[in-house]
Amino acid sequence: MPPVTQARSSDHVCFADIHRFLALFAQGLAGRYLHLKLLEQEDASRRNARMTDEASIFLPAQIGHFATAQYNLGAYRIAVLHQLGVWEGTGDFDLHQFLANSSRPVLLRRIFFAIEDLRIDTAMARRYPGARADLARVLAHALANRPAIGSMASLPAWIEALVQFSLGAPRAALVAGDSSGLLDGLLDAAAAVQRMDADVHDSARASLAICAQLENLESANDEQLPAPSLAQATAAMGADCKPDGDFGPFPDDLEHGAALGIEFRGDTTLDKAVWRRSNRPISAATREPPPLAGAMTEQPSGGHQTLPVHSPVAAVPPLENTGPRSFLYDEWDFHRQAYLAAWCRVFEHRLHGEEFGFIEGVRRRHSTLAHQVRRQFGFIKPQSWRRVRRTNDGDELELDGLIEAVIDRRTGHAGDSHLYVRRDRALRDVAAAFLVDMSASTDFALPGSAALTKSAGAATQAAQSGLYLYGSDDDMPDPVSAPKRRVIDVSKDALALMCDALQALGDSYAIYGFSGDGRDNVEFHVAKDFADKLSLRTWGALAAMQPRRSTRMGAAIRHALSKLARETAGIKVLIIVSDGYPEDHDYGADRTDREYGIQDTARALWEVERAGVTDFCVTIDPAGHDYLRRMCKETRYLVIDDVTALPHELTKIYRTLTAR
Amino acid sequence: MRGPIEAQMNRSTPGAQNNSSRLTQEPWYLPLADEVRLFEAAYEARLPVLLKGPTGCGKTRFIEHMAWRLYRKIDSPRRRLELPLITVACHEDLSATDLVGRYLLSGDETVWMDGPLTRAVRSGAICYLDEVVEARKDTTVVVHSLTDHRRVLPIEKTGELLDAHPDFLLVISYNPGYQSVLKDLKPSTRQRFVSLDFNYPGIDIEATIIAHEGGVDPSLARRLAVVGEKVRNLREHGFEEGVSTRLLVYAAQLAAGGIEPRRACDVAIARAVTDDAEVQKSIGAIVDVLLP
Repeated sequence: MPPVTQARSSDHVCFADIHRFLALFAQGLAGRYLHLKLLEQEDASRRNARMTDEASIFLPAQIGHFATAQYNLGAYRIAVLHQLGVWEGTGDFDLHQFLANSSRPVLLRRIFFAIEDLRIDTAMARRYPGARADLARVLAHALANRPAIGSMASLPAWIEALVQFSLGAPRAALVAGDSSGLLDGLLDAAAAVQRMDADVHDSARASLAICAQLENLESANDEQLPAPSLAQATAAMGADCKPDGDFGPFPDDLEHGAALGIEFRGDTTLDKAVWRRSNRPISAATREPPPLAGAMTEQPSGGHQTLPVHSPVAAVPPLENTGPRSFLYDEWDFHRQAYLAAWCRVFEHRLHGEEFGFIEGVRRRHSTLAHQVRRQFGFIKPQSWRRVRRTNDGDELELDGLIEAVIDRRTGHAGDSHLYVRRDRALRDVAAAFLVDMSASTDFALPGSAALTKSAGAATQAAQSGLYLYGSDDDMPDPVSAPKRRVIDVSKDALALMCDALQALGDSYAIYGFSGDGRDNVEFHVAKDFADKLSLRTWGALAAMQPRRSTRMGAAIRHALSKLARETAGIKVLIIVSDGYPEDHDYGADRTDREYGIQDTARALWEVERAGVTDFCVTIDPAGHDYLRRMCKETRYLVIDDVTALPHELTKIYRTLTAR
Repeated sequence: MRGPIEAQMNRSTPGAQNNSSRLTQEPWYLPLADEVRLFEAAYEARLPVLLKGPTGCGKTRFIEHMAWRLYRKIDSPRRRLELPLITVACHEDLSATDLVGRYLLSGDETVWMDGPLTRAVRSGAICYLDEVVEARKDTTVVVHSLTDHRRVLPIEKTGELLDAHPDFLLVISYNPGYQSVLKDLKPSTRQRFVSLDFNYPGIDIEATIIAHEGGVDPSLARRLAVVGEKVRNLREHGFEEGVSTRLLVYAAQLAAGGIEPRRACDVAIARAVTDDAEVQKSIGAIVDVLLP
């Protein structure tokens, strides 16, 4: 076995770096998702254990006990395997009841831990033969950090001997150091759990046998010796506990596992076991991801396994609103790694507005840019030609068709007259959906938007610096009367310019907005659907986009995807324009949990990609990098610092995404 | 129904498109439930059969085995038929003409050439359309008249209305897992078939299959079956179908050929099912702890 030496800092392995790897490792072996948490989080989790139904494995923030990074990584794997063993082997055992029936619950608990850990590690070595070397290394390290038995009183010495036996200490050495002659019998009882078919009940039986031997000894001592009684000794081992009966809140061990190098055992066996008795198995909460777009229905998705009723996830609220059409969508619960079936109700609203001249204002505000966009989109328009075969008119003869026609004629069948090849201008086969954030934050006024100068020189300067929104127009509004311009206004302008250009390009496109207020009221606003022709009503609808409430992005993306899925175009694109991270008051169990919304959005984007739709996120949020890199691929998002650059950037993005 | 293996052993499996098999040897197949009895009953009633299941779970091997049982067993009245199983691997360019047949120019003449479906209909073979949803929609419609009481194949080009041989049976397969909604079978097609569902087998049976097909000892075969079970627990991370029994057999065959088992699993399992480096690494760790 390699020597246990302190590793160089470069060989330390940090939990944060391998979190996903270990989570996948644990999920693969356990067949269910288990939360991997830092040991430091354990106390808080212990307090909340009965209020949540999370299954967790607790791991140290870093491991650097061993000589190489590989060994340290191996130690993490052993910690996962051991705690999986606890979940699978100890979890359904009613330890609480077992201890409650004992007259020496604290003592029995300590003994049971040692015996059960021995059983789990022995079973681990059998079940995972490839982990034996790592296990031996970890056990040796833990053993090396245990206190010397020689200086201990009898009872702690026997308990410690059991712990060290469970860590692989040679039995002969342990027995040799025991002058009482009792330890040999205790180890005999402990060794029984190393049998291949031993289970947690064998550990319980062995623990009871050992406890009984110690109690017998206590009786003998009471008659003969003035030494501290067993009750006093066990009381000393658990200062907060009464040795008899009421073991109430469990004390921290005097010999805390983490401090003694056995942190891989998690040190919360009892709490976990008790917790497991009071909660459902986590496997009941998980299910495989549903088929894509399967949730696109007005009823809860058929065939989806729903979460159990005692989950914090309740049934979807009944539909009371009889107004707009609504659709139910699943939501990805990152914490459970499972979909919450039919979790969000998306209401589809048609936007109506009366500002039919909206596009005129946009063209006036962005005359230079509008011209540029049209010109650039003109370049996209396919200039190439394609050969259309089997036409009844064309520049050349189609050889295959000609042969078939000859054959048909000779065999007495009517010939086909479609025997020519024609050169046609290639058609674009693109369907694009624009999904615009209409959350309350888009009401944010752009800095300086009401204080623009009317001077031509300044206007030119502004245009050159990208502030073309205000700088390129001869009819620059009077600074005094100029209305405040908000993020939503710029988004609308950008989309109007896109509409203008896309109409000339001939692509199929739709413009949607989204907002909402809770999972049962996600708003999906349709300014222009794929089937709609561009008309004055479209401009009116676009102008009617206004800031509303929250940003439940996942459900909106899924609804947009369902609409795109019905399009037959060869290239499908979903462009999302937002101004911040996904959030809603019930987007996750904890309102402050940003990760939930981010992960649901990431999952929705993954569904988009899996459906063969190209997605792209544009965010007007300087902090966008922080969450977008977790939501999208690096090449699929853009953070715009200057919101006024949106129209120009959107044009570029569209050209790039559809130029295939 | 739990499923068998579709190990692509070249020694007994027709590989290429439009393949025909003489089935001179019995293809090894481990029945897992009542699928053999069901298929035989369906054949007796000449009911078309749909085999449904994930990739590499044993659909093709099953149909080969059944063809052997029905056409090659010593007491079979159909033993004289030279090609009892005609397999067509469907693809998106497969047209009805490809299935039914076409005229070809030969010298100064035109010659009619039967397609694989027509050959099976004439001769009384089993025609197996593998991954039928991949084919063009018009292709699946061609088989409709063969799948009801009429049992006829209209050949438009020759004007022939071909009555199916009494022994003819149509079998199709598809994999509902990775087919998009656009490629699902039309109800008008799927409701013409008796449907047999296949899936990956349990550990004991999968280990038997791996040991037999992969040529490894039962201990390693069982370890590989456990690896398969564990890796399938990760299938929501980008490989919806999990790892197929076929891939486990591949890993076993590599190991039997002298490749270190962990390396064999790396190339035949981890790298085969995903391109996600972290998932590959996790699968590697699972393999690492499970193998001796």
